[in-house]
Amino acid sequence: MDSPLKAFKRTDGRWGLRNHVLILPLHSALSTTARKIADDVSGCVALNHDWSGEVDNDLPRVTKTLAGSAANPNNHSVIFLTLGTDVELEIIKQAKAITKQTIIELSLPKLGSIQTLTEQATQEAIKLAKEAEAEARVPAPWSAIVLGLECGGSDALSGITANPALGVASDRLVELGATSVLGETTEILGAEHLLAARALDEETGKKIVAMVARYESSINYEGIDIRGAQPSRGNIEGGLSTLEEKSLGAAKKAGNAPLTGVLEFADVPAKPGLYFMDTPGHDIEQLAGFAAGHINVVVFTSGRGTPTGSPIMPVIKVSTNTPMYKAVTDFIDLDAGTIADGIETLEETGARIFDEIVAVANGQETKAEKNGHQEFALSRMYETVVPPLFS
Amino acid sequence: MSTGYLHENRGIGIRHHQLILPSVVCSTHVARRIANGLDAITFAHQHGCGIIGGDVAGIDDFFSQLAAHPNVSSVLVVGLGCETIQSQELGAKLLETNKSTRYQIIQESGGVQGTVDSGIAAAKQLNADFPKNQVEIRNDQITVGIDNSNPKIDTTELTNALKAAGYKVEIVTDSHISIDNFSKLMELKAQVIISFPDENQPASGFPLIPVINIAGTGPLHQATSQDFDLTNTNSSQEILDLLAKVIAGQETKAEKSSVGEIRAPRIVRSV
Repeated sequence: MDSPLKAFKRTDGRWGLRNHVLILPLHSALSTTARKIADDVSGCVALNHDWSGEVDNDLPRVTKTLAGSAANPNNHSVIFLTLGTDVELEIIKQAKAITKQTIIELSLPKLGSIQTLTEQATQEAIKLAKEAEAEARVPAPWSAIVLGLECGGSDALSGITANPALGVASDRLVELGATSVLGETTEILGAEHLLAARALDEETGKKIVAMVARYESSINYEGIDIRGAQPSRGNIEGGLSTLEEKSLGAAKKAGNAPLTGVLEFADVPAKPGLYFMDTPGHDIEQLAGFAAGHINVVVFTSGRGTPTGSPIMPVIKVSTNTPMYKAVTDFIDLDAGTIADGIETLEETGARIFDEIVAVANGQETKAEKNGHQEFALSRMYETVVPPLFS
Repeated sequence: MSTGYLHENRGIGIRHHQLILPSVVCSTHVARRIANGLDAITFAHQHGCGIIGGDVAGIDDFFSQLAAHPNVSSVLVVGLGCETIQSQELGAKLLETNKSTRYQIIQESGGVQGTVDSGIAAAKQLNADFPKNQVEIRNDQITVGIDNSNPKIDTTELTNALKAAGYKVEIVTDSHISIDNFSKLMELKAQVIISFPDENQPASGFPLIPVINIAGTGPLHQATSQDFDLTNTNSSQEILDLLAKVIAGQETKAEKSSVGEIRAPRIVRSV
């Protein structure tokens, strides 16, 4: 099947499905300023965070997340707001090592005040947004799509309707040469053996099993049994009984394609195929890991309904049940409850999700984009130390 | 003698801020849209779900402390519905202490626009039901928080001068990053903060509390002197003079530029 895709070609060969100007503050004290600029200038997005330059256990993870977010191919350009410190310069250096897009650094001490910084950044943002607006989409191959698979607020229908339907769409895309990434280590706990059995090579199979074991021990260190905290209260109200049941349903988002590789948090997939990325189940931390891993479009299934999006990636919402879809239509894009209602087959709903991914990749706005959702969260480990796999 | 606002059991505030409190990261954007439709305060955060262990009670308690701060006039809790920190429970708990509390749940309010519309209506109703109750306040009813993140600064003289003027004083030196000390001072119910940021940290603010930033002598502070209200060459009396004006309603530089996020204390990774 010929690719109907049209996207923004980056000079390094990657493809952007969006072309926005990212305002990226590198200190919490610059965060509200970044938001203000993005709200005022059409074509700009911003991410908010509370990192304040601290050098601790989490610095490599924070650096990787912020540098990776800056280098996401959906960004036409990036305006960093900085204090000019060494840790900030390292983040910018890492971003520049990956992307060849325009990167502007505006330093608060060089400009003298928040007011001057705001004015200068706004001027730059207007200029870059105009450039971005003028750039045209060009025909793109299927490999331009790097899809993120996510679920949040799962219910008893997640594993029967929306997740397997998304699996159908993911399988089709992978077969056509695109990339698809499953995340949420929390939510494959108990289903990792099924993914391992689909690994293209033995090493990848062993890695995913080790990754889940490492995750569980990182939670157990405090004497907390993850199976006591998961499924969440919302999941239980939605009809899920155990974490294993939730995981078996969650893993269905990845369809039946062979597993090409396993990624650490915010790693970038090296070639097309299906991947698993080690992320928390926390929806927004996961989306940040995806954005930093250069995923350029996400499908997010939900049983309870969540309005969230990402500053960097379009996020398509799919409901697992029709009553929820009808209750909150202004933030859910597609309904997969049709499968449970006997109106559509799994394949038909999967085809609808596939078509929606293509339409959104070509520029159609998702409801999260229309509503202006730009949630962001830094994933931190605090005192937990994550050892390398097979150490 | 100055004028403040009596805010039920929260105490006497020097500001009259309505707080739109998102109980989970998933409702922060909707909370912002509600706050933008009013003259209210909200903040972006990444908590409320996917939290375990000590963080469940810790975050719940932190949000409760924010809602109970004396500068808060009323609280609208905005939740999603399926999160760990359940907004209706948080709302019900807060309501026990202060009647000027309401909650709104996105999953039960007909979507984003429905929640924004009904949230704005609920917040306006709160303002109508709990109008400004201005009272005269004495210095001994004011807790001045001192964020001493700058190890080069000795605040003894300033502390003595504040106490001599009758103020209660809380000094926090836990972190060299002001954002953490601000959260601590919020929990200690400081109505106003005098901040001496570390010389590698910029002037910053806290959405509910006026922060007076005092510059040190390092290059960052010198270069950004316009963002500071005073410098450490100013006398304690000059700081006290500005403090009195801020208590009376004059905006600090951080308030004018709305700088500063709120950082909630966390101990364990998200799941």
